[in-house]
Amino acid sequence: MSAAQTNTDRPRPAMLWLSENRQILALPVMFVVALLVFAAAAPNFLSTDNLTNVARQSVYLLIVALGQLIVMITGGLDLSVGSNVSLTSVVSAMVMATVFAGNPDAPWLALWSGLVAGMAIGIAVGLVNGLGVTLLRIHPFMMTLGMSSIVFGLTLFISGGVPIYGIPPLHGEIFGFGRIFGLPIPAIVALFLVVLAYATLQWTRFGRHLYATGGNNRAAALSGVRTDRVTVVAYMMCGLLAALSGLLLTARLGTGEANIGGTLPLESIAACVISGVSLAGGRGRTLMVVLGTLLIVLVQNGLNLMQVGAYAQFVATGAILIFAMALARN
Amino acid sequence: MMSHAVARTQQAAPSAAVPTLSTVGLTKRYGQHAALDSVSLDFLPGEVHVLFGENGAGKSTLISMIAGANTPTEGRVLMDGREVALGSVSAARAHGVRAVFQEFSLIPWMTVAENITLGEEPLAGPAPLQRVVGFLSKSGATAEARRLIDDLGFELDPRATVASLTRGKQQMVEICKAMRVRPRVLILDEPTASLSEHDARALFRLIRRLQDQGTAIIYVTHRMHEIPLIGNRLSVLRDGRFIATVPADTHEDRLIELMTGRNMEKVYPRPRADLGDVRLELRGVSLDHKPGVPDIEGIDLAVRAGEIVGIAGLVGCGKSNLAQACFGLRRIVSGEVLVDGVPLVPRHPADAIGRGLWYLPSDRKNDGLALELTAHENMILSGLRFGASRGEMLKPRREARQLSQVSRMVEFDGRRLGEPVARFSGGNQQKILLAKSLVQDVKVYVFDEPTVGVDIGACLAIYRCLADLSARGAAILLVSSNLPELMGLTHRMLVMSGGDIVAEFDRADYDEHRILEQFF
Repeated sequence: MSAAQTNTDRPRPAMLWLSENRQILALPVMFVVALLVFAAAAPNFLSTDNLTNVARQSVYLLIVALGQLIVMITGGLDLSVGSNVSLTSVVSAMVMATVFAGNPDAPWLALWSGLVAGMAIGIAVGLVNGLGVTLLRIHPFMMTLGMSSIVFGLTLFISGGVPIYGIPPLHGEIFGFGRIFGLPIPAIVALFLVVLAYATLQWTRFGRHLYATGGNNRAAALSGVRTDRVTVVAYMMCGLLAALSGLLLTARLGTGEANIGGTLPLESIAACVISGVSLAGGRGRTLMVVLGTLLIVLVQNGLNLMQVGAYAQFVATGAILIFAMALARN
Repeated sequence: MMSHAVARTQQAAPSAAVPTLSTVGLTKRYGQHAALDSVSLDFLPGEVHVLFGENGAGKSTLISMIAGANTPTEGRVLMDGREVALGSVSAARAHGVRAVFQEFSLIPWMTVAENITLGEEPLAGPAPLQRVVGFLSKSGATAEARRLIDDLGFELDPRATVASLTRGKQQMVEICKAMRVRPRVLILDEPTASLSEHDARALFRLIRRLQDQGTAIIYVTHRMHEIPLIGNRLSVLRDGRFIATVPADTHEDRLIELMTGRNMEKVYPRPRADLGDVRLELRGVSLDHKPGVPDIEGIDLAVRAGEIVGIAGLVGCGKSNLAQACFGLRRIVSGEVLVDGVPLVPRHPADAIGRGLWYLPSDRKNDGLALELTAHENMILSGLRFGASRGEMLKPRREARQLSQVSRMVEFDGRRLGEPVARFSGGNQQKILLAKSLVQDVKVYVFDEPTVGVDIGACLAIYRCLADLSARGAAILLVSSNLPELMGLTHRMLVMSGGDIVAEFDRADYDEHRILEQFF
């Protein structure tokens, strides 16, 4: 026991609890502050239309952030989510376009082949990340940074750097702009994934193993947890979630794009970190990440409405990330 | 462990002297709760003053305030009878107060010499140049570190990187750092917890030399057998309050009563008499070579149901490696491990646990517990696959039921299951680690140093739990560096030295001196 920290065997007073959890408390506070500031600065900020817009824009980042959360709980990091989204978009669009061109009467066939191909790509990228981190013992930062470059290179190579046209309109009609009971389908998908992630992390053994692997890898292994398998599956889940986000974005845009993923690694990591997800692993809550994602999109949206310009968004996202890290320090 | 080694006559501390350091009504409050409540103690020149108490009794708070790492809420500190302000570690150092804490302040990727000279580095070149540019003198640092190391009688290479050293060696580096400036008050917080016998003896010789030079030494330890060897007086703290100051040769039982406030019938439960079939067997087990560990070859041993078999020996004799080999953590090149007569070849700890074998690691912070997770999450972990709470979906109610039962077995406060492990004292963390062993269907236990660095209260709880397991028919292999503990708990004891089993004793033949002779 160090001198400064006296871990006595008694419950601590409330003030200490506040200071220990300041990182968790910071997010709702920042959220409310952002709401107030933008409501005052941009009159149409609180309009139903705009808030719906924020929710719809959040979907793509949110899904990627859920994957990032799962990997970060194991003590890892995935910098390749952006390239993964791009590759998924390009590959799924090419598969859809090719199948659709051959069978113009069967848009469903084209749709399904594209979706399956996209998800397979995402999972495969995650698998390679996971194997590199576990079998080769490469630090997640370097492994996924390297993969990010490889995957982006592949994307450009495959697409030639131009948008992929020719996907069936059905894709956009359903997954881009479709609604069920008035709710946008992308939002329903995201909601479903949030519930799924929450249930997996809180209610299943696999979820507990994720936390244990990140909390203390060696202790978990000695307790019979197959930590390497858990880690690989975590990266695969992250890859799948990135792919789903890529598929939804493709549906929205109507084309396969190589350049849609660029800011996602930073934004998804920021969304997790401001939500109290520990870079060291073992900590992180689904619903906080939802809130963290909304905050980032809210700030970007608010700055847009204030007509500060798109470039300020990068400054804001980075500043939020650094501020959150400052709060997280011990 | 070292009672034979250091035959020591009780030195009376100079009694009439002015205390080098006194605390007057020292108090530390955290909100409503007083971690230390008006403690007044005198530390005399040339005295080894032992602080004794359970974890959370206030020892750490007291020494951290004397060392300047923590500021008191109330009370004063006097040195030579005059009030001093020890508001920071550097202020305390300026007054000649030095501390060696259990958590080290070493920089892992620097060498021993660089660590020892950190802050006051020897410089190269002529003196005028040194004032302008501080070029480091590597040879100067190495020479100074070597001088200090030789002076203290440690076995340390000043050029070694600290990260490559064992914990025991790192402890020595830490002590060297504190000794660089002759301290007037030296605080040692469980200094022998990770030292080998040899190094502990070197430390004791050093402490005695400092005593002769008039240094006041504040010595925190949980190891009762050390107290009469090294101490002059002993002060007991309990729940943040001062209980008593007694001579260091006061009987152990009396000390435990003072510390716990409970009347103590017996420290060690009696082992059960009837034994069952052989559950764990090692046949001619040899491990692959590993640098720094003696080669282990051709080991045979067997543990029966209900039996507790001890493995004794010095730190580094290979006993921990043998324990790990049972669990598949060291590669076995020949021979076999059998559980209930069937060979076990674990590729992963999960295989061993699935066959009913459990290993409790000695390093609870690195190998045992996830400190950020709660006590509940840590305890139940392996039970999610191998215990009553198994299943793909978590079963919160069943987990809670099982853990309240397990908490009772290890005498852990079940109301605190939801708190993160990092918040608990060493004793409670060790109980949580032990509780992890009890949530799955296991009949063979390998315990590696189950009571290392914990207070006596937790020790007793752990002893009772081991006896309880044995009474229920578990086979237990107990690796320990604490000989009295092995003698108290086990049916049989094997002594390891240099990687071999050099002797075996039955309980009826236990004799501390004869066993210790086999250590070397």
